[in-house]
Amino acid sequence: MRGRMLRLSMAVLTAALAAALAIGIAGCGGDGDTGDGGSTGEPIKIGAIVSLTGTYAGLGEPEKNVLEMEVKRINDAGGVNGRPVEVIIEDDATDEAKAVAAASKLIEQDGVVAIIGATGTGQTMAARGDVQRAAIPQVSMAGGTVITSPVDPLVFATPWSNLIVVPFTLDYLKSQGITKIGLISDSGGFGKDGQAVIAAAAPEAGMTLVADESFNPGDTDMTAQLTKIKNSDAQAVVMWTAGAEAAIIAKNVADLGIDLPLYGSHGIARREFIEGAGAAAENVKFAAGKVLIPDAYGEGTEAYTVATEFIDRYTTAYGEAPSTFAGHAYDALYLIVEAAKRVTGDLTPAALRDEIEATSGFVGIGGTFNLSAEDHNGMNASDLTMYEIVNGGWIVAQ
Amino acid sequence: MAELLQFLVAGLKNGSIYALVALGFTIVFAATGAINFAQGEFFMLGGMLGVFFSGLGLPLPLAAVAAVAATAAIGAAFELLAVRPIGGGDPLRIIMVTIGGAVVLRQLALHLFGPDERALAPFTQGESLKVFGAAIERQTVWIWALTALAVVALALLYRRTTFGRAMRATSIRRDAARLVGINASAMVTASFALAAALGAVGGLVVAPLTQTAFSVGAGMGVKGFAAAVLGGLGNPIAAVGGGLILGLLESLTAGYVDPVYKDAVAFVVLLAVLFLRPKGLLGGSGRTKV
Repeated sequence: MRGRMLRLSMAVLTAALAAALAIGIAGCGGDGDTGDGGSTGEPIKIGAIVSLTGTYAGLGEPEKNVLEMEVKRINDAGGVNGRPVEVIIEDDATDEAKAVAAASKLIEQDGVVAIIGATGTGQTMAARGDVQRAAIPQVSMAGGTVITSPVDPLVFATPWSNLIVVPFTLDYLKSQGITKIGLISDSGGFGKDGQAVIAAAAPEAGMTLVADESFNPGDTDMTAQLTKIKNSDAQAVVMWTAGAEAAIIAKNVADLGIDLPLYGSHGIARREFIEGAGAAAENVKFAAGKVLIPDAYGEGTEAYTVATEFIDRYTTAYGEAPSTFAGHAYDALYLIVEAAKRVTGDLTPAALRDEIEATSGFVGIGGTFNLSAEDHNGMNASDLTMYEIVNGGWIVAQ
Repeated sequence: MAELLQFLVAGLKNGSIYALVALGFTIVFAATGAINFAQGEFFMLGGMLGVFFSGLGLPLPLAAVAAVAATAAIGAAFELLAVRPIGGGDPLRIIMVTIGGAVVLRQLALHLFGPDERALAPFTQGESLKVFGAAIERQTVWIWALTALAVVALALLYRRTTFGRAMRATSIRRDAARLVGINASAMVTASFALAAALGAVGGLVVAPLTQTAFSVGAGMGVKGFAAAVLGGLGNPIAAVGGGLILGLLESLTAGYVDPVYKDAVAFVVLLAVLFLRPKGLLGGSGRTKV
């Protein structure tokens, strides 16, 4: 009996150790280089940290696609001041530790002059230490407010920040006569950040958070949290998350028979949400940039042309329309490349950083960027539109 | 009251899935004395293959059966190709092999099916059922029904069939089983196939609610393992009990404490049980109950 018990606890112990190992090993690989073209000269090396696996894989994949597609286009057109651009892509597996490892590798081994990324807010923040040490500019594709507020001289971000999207969404809710909201957000970077911004902005907008629930990234059932929202006197459910969990929330809301309008963040502006949630995605509303339906810019404007040409290129190359996340990667790449073109003399990280900060009137996919020492995001509410999911697609909400 | 009921529904829903995965752990443990760390990947394969087969145009019931059968075959092949060649005997070596196997299966799924999360249609369309103010998704009824079916089928297999008795005999004493003419190594292969099939049922039946992806196996493996240990390794009834208790603990923590701590609370309870009752909550004399 004793022997058996000992053997059992040994097995349990080994197994627990092994589990830790197995999780650590999960999702290695996925490196890839892009960029050889017509231009000559020493290539300009840019590192990119994207989530090709893990919770944010659905965001990182289109980002990688865009980086590869646009780098080729830039190099075919002669590169930057005669030098080709080379983007070295690393997968962080939606894992903060791996994002740090990727940043060190890009800086130490590849000697990149700037870093694009990461896909997620948590990963972006995790890589910051290495970025600071190397003193190179970092352009993030994640939407967390903490990335650019307070401003870090080296760090920029291309998505609409929660500081823009939250007030825009609250204004819209108010126009619908909604003042009591039930919030559910993830405890990871993006959701936590959105939760903080909403909790601060709601009282100013004359609104109350009657329920404030959270869940862990990777959770697969949110009925407990939503039951509490259901039993509060909320007039609408607001979910602030960018991961695959949004589809589960939408389904749980429908399954629990919660008869309240459901609002999402710009993190759900992707096909996978609609496919995952199915019928439960119907009538879900979210604010995002105008690239989802470029007509919102007005035909003939520069923004309309940039967006439609980008959509055409992407659709031709990959057989499906680009998501907003593809747009964030486009904007990040071109903020760096356009700034590099303006640098006269040596392309040092410091000179590149100064030129990125001096970006003015750059028409990208997410909107029009006007950066300054105080604003490292550079967009405003006029770059946003409220969308509604109808018949498995999105339309501009009235 | 309706709130508590809703938490219980959620707990029993997730708990049933943990129970299916835990059953897989316990069956392989009974046969080999080792923990099969590829068990979570069998859960993943059930869902991903279900999506794959229904994507080929197979009707859902057929796709479901095909996914479970294919995963069982993969489980058997895994034992034949990876576990048997190392000669068996030492559980530590088997554990290491299954960890390697888990990584291989996960990476294969990544390359074959891509990194995106995939959706599977619900088994029955329609609104949730309302019971005393609590909503029960139709898919949850499927989860409970299929878990119950799997447990009953397993009990019948073990108690009523020659094959099942041979498996039990092998787990009690391998040498003696061999002496009375039981093909012990075939029984080990069968245990892997059975464990894989049970994991696949779990992965398949929960996919319409949660979506699935190549990466869902590791997390579920840890939960299923915890459930098996909580109940008492090597005892199928205890595995089911452990799964349900773990699910309820998580759900009640999420409901009444803080969702962020639900995993932590579940594992603290697990540790407490291991300290106080090393053989698990329901673990009697683990070896004879198989």
